[in-house]
Amino acid sequence: MESSMMNSDSIHQSQPGRKTGDGWLNLRQRESLMGYLFIAPQMLGFFIFVLGPIIAIFIFSTQNRNLLSGINTPIGLDNYIRMMETDPFFPVVVRNSVIFTSGLVPLNVVLALVLSMLLTTKIRGVTFFRTLFFAPVITSAVAWAIVWRFLLQGDQGINSFLAMIGVEGPNWLREPGWAMASVIVTRVIKNVGLNIVILMAALQNIPSDYSEAAQVDGANLWQRIRYITIPLLGPTLMVVIVLTIIGSLKVFDHILLMTGGGPANATNVLVYYIWFNAFKTFQMGYASALAVVLFAVTMIITIVQWVLRRTYVYNED
Amino acid sequence: MSIKRVFLFAVLTSLLSLVALSASAQDEITIRYTLWIPPDAGQMEAFNAIKADYEEMNPGVVIEYDFIPFNDYESVLTLQLSGTNPPDAGWLVERSAPTFIQAGVLADIAPVLNSAEGYDFADFSEPAMSLWTEGESVYGIPFSTSPFLFIYNKTLWEEAGVALPDDLIAEGNWNWATVSESLATITESTGTYGFQSNDAALYTGNFWITIVPMLRAYGGDVWDADNQCVLNSEGSVEGLTVLHSMIFDAESAVPPGTEIDFFAGDAASTIGQLSRVGRLADAEFAWDIAPLPSGSADTPYVIGQAAMSVFNNSANSDVAADFVRFMTTQENVTRLSAYFPPIRASVLESQAFLDANPSIAPERINDVVATAINNGTVLASHPNFPTIELTTRALLDELWTPGADIQATADLICGAIQPLLDQ
Repeated sequence: MESSMMNSDSIHQSQPGRKTGDGWLNLRQRESLMGYLFIAPQMLGFFIFVLGPIIAIFIFSTQNRNLLSGINTPIGLDNYIRMMETDPFFPVVVRNSVIFTSGLVPLNVVLALVLSMLLTTKIRGVTFFRTLFFAPVITSAVAWAIVWRFLLQGDQGINSFLAMIGVEGPNWLREPGWAMASVIVTRVIKNVGLNIVILMAALQNIPSDYSEAAQVDGANLWQRIRYITIPLLGPTLMVVIVLTIIGSLKVFDHILLMTGGGPANATNVLVYYIWFNAFKTFQMGYASALAVVLFAVTMIITIVQWVLRRTYVYNED
Repeated sequence: MSIKRVFLFAVLTSLLSLVALSASAQDEITIRYTLWIPPDAGQMEAFNAIKADYEEMNPGVVIEYDFIPFNDYESVLTLQLSGTNPPDAGWLVERSAPTFIQAGVLADIAPVLNSAEGYDFADFSEPAMSLWTEGESVYGIPFSTSPFLFIYNKTLWEEAGVALPDDLIAEGNWNWATVSESLATITESTGTYGFQSNDAALYTGNFWITIVPMLRAYGGDVWDADNQCVLNSEGSVEGLTVLHSMIFDAESAVPPGTEIDFFAGDAASTIGQLSRVGRLADAEFAWDIAPLPSGSADTPYVIGQAAMSVFNNSANSDVAADFVRFMTTQENVTRLSAYFPPIRASVLESQAFLDANPSIAPERINDVVATAINNGTVLASHPNFPTIELTTRALLDELWTPGADIQATADLICGAIQPLLDQ
């Protein structure tokens, strides 16, 4: 113990930039080297598994690249021109992705906000409900989708329950409008627990003084939520919204298992279509061009939200 | 011992180990063979026996069966073929044949087959080989040329009191008009669906297997030999109308969005191949097979095919080709024929084939299976098949609604897939 303290003292007494004796490097350089060595495994992984593929995707997107035959021909921007001018599925897929995201994000965030407020109150059985809403998050996505596919059958599952109360339910996964609504709602139920946890943590950090003071001044519940709680949750809400949008744009397994992109391509979203082109028709070049579009859309949305936060987020350190 | 000596000893030991390792690696050749039947399936018994025989006859060769689930088979296989450790040989389904041959990933195994003593390549039915040959080149040997059959739950048919398929065949009434009436009666009297599509795949999976028999029963098809879309022809529309009516008018066929299983006894009939009969081994109901019903045209004989191929990237393609040759000798084709109907004429006509599947009477195999193989045509395929399938499925969904305009939908599909067929 004493010896380690002495070593520590001697390090603190050393001046940055001074050579420490036996090495080629001075203390600052050695510390920098140590730092780089510590982050090296992570950086190596990042370069090989993240940055490398991203750069490769941009290159592939300018090629007629067939995964099966291995033929790669440079074709410039032809994949992008095909996307915009001749591919009949691309506009449908973009429209579906927009519908999916616009349906999922508000539903998920509003539900998470309301439930997180309810679950931070001190009422009986609140722990049970916290567990109940978080359980789907840790459930296997595959099991979740398969169970819901059975529950949403035309004449069984939920519909047989509805029939008992005299309501004729739609064919949830086989009617285009209802299929999209079904995948959105089941996806929200699956993931809303994560946003609830994030917002609950933020809510618990807001001092009760503000709300109590407002109450003394005559503010009602809605006014306290609107003018105190939500502004103070601003930074967290921004993170939740960004993460939910990005997550919704990346949806794939849920669609594959519940609807397979159908009926009539009504739930065929961008990532599903990228997968189809890459691994079903083996057009890796075209799939890469679609992936670049997804990358650009995600990047633009993130930048826009980052800029907007200056206007709408008040409580940021 | 000095450090120098220790170092020298370590280097020498390492070199010797490397030499020994490389020598043993050179001695042993591993052939990785991809297939879509799980290792514990009954059909694998015959494959394992053939593998054991080959390994015994060829010391130093190890055969490894590599299972890939059917739904992901083409995608996973393609990824493996584009990697650094590709499989050596494997199965391919008929729809993959044009795409894989055109991509140049299949090895020509004709030289190995032609030089093998006693192989008798001429024994294979030439029409059944057509998908897998180009001139003198051979890119695959079909091990399963399996006709689609009408498989029915005899218990439910008897319970409903309707004439059994055998009686209808004897009366000359084995057609969809009569069958759909029987199925409607079964649904009414037993509360069980009369008809389930092949593997329940009509709305979400391989829909071709159910619609092609309906189209061909009325003289139609999806596209013809000249790659011209004929889905909107009079016969095709008639076939689709019968199927649509069974689903939405008589409500005897399983509708979209309902998931039930014929093999669990939840439907009175389905369309499937001989290999599916294996799933009925423990069925708690009586069952039988019949030919596909006819329509306004003659009995349709529709065949699904799977072949064994060798991949060009294989480092041991000669050994892999020799293994494929061994698997498709007359003796081994007979061993596989219990589940996989052969195209070797000598086996097809043999008593051994008729007796191969103990759960089906020999005369039934002869009347239903062998007749269909001799008269059938393989399911349609095309190099653009995946895109054609995506397009057709999306537009076909319009059909699976009550009151759909069948002719208009068929016209729409033909308009969309003809450019893809022309490519």
